[in-house]
Amino acid sequence: MKKSHIALIIVIAILIGAMVTAINDSSSYADFSEAFSEPSGEFHVVGKLNRDRQMIYDPVSNPDEFIFYMTDIKNEEKKVVLHKSKPQDFERSEQIVLIGSAQGDEFHANDILMKCPSKYQDGEITAKDQSQI
Amino acid sequence: MTYSGEHLLIGQLGNTFTILAFAFSFLSMVAYFLADLKKDDQYLRIGRIAYLAHSISVIGMVATLFAMIFNQYFEYHYVWQHSNTEMPMKYIFSCFWEGIEGSFMIWTFWHVILGLILFKSVKSWEAPVMSVISAVQFFMLTMLLGVYVFDYKFGSNPFIMLLREHPDFLGLPLFNNPDYTEVIDGRGLNPLLQNYWMVIHPPFVLFGYATAIVPFAYAIAGLLRGKFIEWVRPALPWTFFGIGVLGIGVLMGGAWAYESLSFGGFWAWDPVENASLVPWLTMVGAGHLMLIQRKKGVSVFSLFLMVTITFCLVQYASFLTKSGVLGETSVHSFTDLGMTAQLAISLLFFIGLSIFLIVKNFKKFPKQDREESSTSREFWMFVSALVLLMSAFIISFSTSFPVINQIFGTNLATSGERIDYYNQWLTPFAIIVSFLVAIGQFLSYTKTDMPRFWKRLSISLGLSVIVTVTMSYSMSIYNPIYVVMLLSTSLAAFANLDYWARILKGKIKGAGPSIAHFGFGLLLLGILVSTSQSTVISSNSSLYDISVLGDDFDNNENILLMLDDTLIMGDFLVAYRGKRSEDNFIHYQVDYMTMNEKGVLELDFSLYPFLQLNPRMGNVAEPYTKHYAHKDIYTHISYAELEDKDAKPTSEEHSIVIGDTIFTRTSFMVFDSLDRNPQSSFKGLSENDLAIGAHFTLFDVDTKAHHLEPLFVLKDRQYSMTVPDSLSELGIKIGFEGIDPEKENFKFRVVEDQPKFNDFIVMKAIVFPGINILWLGCLIMGLGTFFSVIQRIRRN
Repeated sequence: MKKSHIALIIVIAILIGAMVTAINDSSSYADFSEAFSEPSGEFHVVGKLNRDRQMIYDPVSNPDEFIFYMTDIKNEEKKVVLHKSKPQDFERSEQIVLIGSAQGDEFHANDILMKCPSKYQDGEITAKDQSQI
Repeated sequence: MTYSGEHLLIGQLGNTFTILAFAFSFLSMVAYFLADLKKDDQYLRIGRIAYLAHSISVIGMVATLFAMIFNQYFEYHYVWQHSNTEMPMKYIFSCFWEGIEGSFMIWTFWHVILGLILFKSVKSWEAPVMSVISAVQFFMLTMLLGVYVFDYKFGSNPFIMLLREHPDFLGLPLFNNPDYTEVIDGRGLNPLLQNYWMVIHPPFVLFGYATAIVPFAYAIAGLLRGKFIEWVRPALPWTFFGIGVLGIGVLMGGAWAYESLSFGGFWAWDPVENASLVPWLTMVGAGHLMLIQRKKGVSVFSLFLMVTITFCLVQYASFLTKSGVLGETSVHSFTDLGMTAQLAISLLFFIGLSIFLIVKNFKKFPKQDREESSTSREFWMFVSALVLLMSAFIISFSTSFPVINQIFGTNLATSGERIDYYNQWLTPFAIIVSFLVAIGQFLSYTKTDMPRFWKRLSISLGLSVIVTVTMSYSMSIYNPIYVVMLLSTSLAAFANLDYWARILKGKIKGAGPSIAHFGFGLLLLGILVSTSQSTVISSNSSLYDISVLGDDFDNNENILLMLDDTLIMGDFLVAYRGKRSEDNFIHYQVDYMTMNEKGVLELDFSLYPFLQLNPRMGNVAEPYTKHYAHKDIYTHISYAELEDKDAKPTSEEHSIVIGDTIFTRTSFMVFDSLDRNPQSSFKGLSENDLAIGAHFTLFDVDTKAHHLEPLFVLKDRQYSMTVPDSLSELGIKIGFEGIDPEKENFKFRVVEDQPKFNDFIVMKAIVFPGINILWLGCLIMGLGTFFSVIQRIRRN
């Protein structure tokens, strides 16, 4: 057996190991009910900001805590504690992805991804001078 | 309805160029293919003419689109979508490639340029090589056609998509105005892209991507002709040229992220970043396999595999960023234009072609008859190519989770600590690669004289041990993996420097590899030091203990700075000094000070992190960094209140007797005495009224005394009324509200304004030590790579 064959076998073994570990290490997309049924696990939860509920950001007492309410895709609403500063332009987000885990009745997120209307609103065209449209 | 003011002619011109470019790429592909198949010069001539016509058309397309953006023809959807009248002209280039169409156009443009250079130099390989290039161009141009074939739209054509015909805007009343072009303005460029790095980074990366076509075309040509060795010689310098360009392009992306994105670092393992890094890794592997093959004529199969994988990974990168499959997992993917299937077909075609040709020819590949020695340079070069391929695979696998989810319906997501996750995975690979980079040149082809090898390497080994010990001690790097990486990367740097100085005697000729490898060592060393030693200093003087929430919540990374308050942060005292608006930017001034020996605060420097306001696409915080030779101090605004909020004044009632003191937020006041005959300036009193004044002495924070005299009035001796007194500079108002004769005490109400809370910033500051080693390493690596390319071209 050639050395290059041995090297290849080692490579394949490492790659299979890497794939298995990568899958085990990965988190998964879920809704609130799944995340709350497994409070130890880390989940990515997709949902929308509930604009009718209060958002609490009091940087004086803690700049790294922001509380709001999010409704997931199954319309379940939960209180969310984000352990980061309030993201810029948070109110404008169309969709949010929380990364974190459930704790009691709250979802504690360590990170957040937001989808802002990077696209234009449909049918909206701006004029050079607003009075002309 | 006829519209005046639309510039339809230029769009028709652009569209004509597109159709011609498409048709000629097809013709060129077929003619060149037949020329190679039938060895017929007639076909070769047709192929040449077709390719030239194709090139001219592509250049025409690029020029037309530039002209449209430059002249602000907002009646075209592409121009409207990516630019507006307010945008500074210097960003016109960013507008060009912000959209999928423009970025494909630049890519095909680079292919054309490379093709035209190749045209002159390919000689006997012309027919098959140019046929492959034309085939790639053919597929790319389908992305720009914008024609419907049985309800399926092929590509997106920026020249024919008019704003008024776009599905989003059909029937808009605005288009009842024949002169609508007079009034509309564009949507504008994404604020993140309004940055000088974004003017040069995308075309550079696309140029790097484009270079992958050359070795690929040669490899396919070699497979088509059944000449498995000969194609390597002309393809080799091109491969290293691609390594240099793509490598610099990838790190430019890092520099952009570091300078203008606020995630705090130069590399976030974002899917798009990964997609550009992975082909670079395999391209480096392919280049080194080519070197082995040139010297020893071995590893034919691995080389074909590595070259075709590189090209397919480039196509895959384009698929990931342009198909919309990444969705919310990436900050900088394009918006989906519904071309996913088309992109996938193009990708699968090139994968299928590569596999088919390799499998078909596999039996004919020259076999290696002799076992290579485990002390030979070629063996270890082969191993490093494999290690690079493995690391490419591992990065790709996790990056592809969104694709895997789409295909298999799974729910995989990369772990929340994405950066740690990838860093952990790739550190061992970086260690192995840097050790191999260190010893590579000291090994000889076929067999190495080991005693001589150790003797030559000993100086570098000694030096790197000394450096490792000093650095790990002085920077407190005690994690064993990091210590090993410190050793391997500094060895990679020293050994190559030593090789250049002592063995090549410091000559430039032939020094390319040593210089490039030296730069690579520095690059990895810089990554290690700046990543492992970067510290968030803004967490240190926090006002609130977040650890009560549990060990998981240690991301206490922001500091709140009220206007003019001075707080301790790391080695500094910082103060927020105010903000300044300029156009759509708000610049915040943050002073960094230190205490000198006399105990006086001295300003070291001021940083001006800013917010770019963009009402339509969202506000963007951009960092500001103080660069020192040995470290950077990076600061960005995490949060700032943009609108002035009225703070509600507090209102408190106090029942006190004479001699008592009322404490307020900023002062205290002593109730001195009552005055039954007050000399108030209040004019509304008449003779029938009974007025009682209360004398207060108010001391402010500077213990300066102020006099206040609120009145309690019985109007016509019947109706009680209060005449408050106030001190506007402190925002304090005191009212005399009543007298309790039984308890002999008096009621006062103190109303005090709260400070305006909008003038504060929440800020994050990170120190990156040694980040300049990284950038320096990158430059040296690029320089070395280009030296060796020039050397190779001369030798050929």
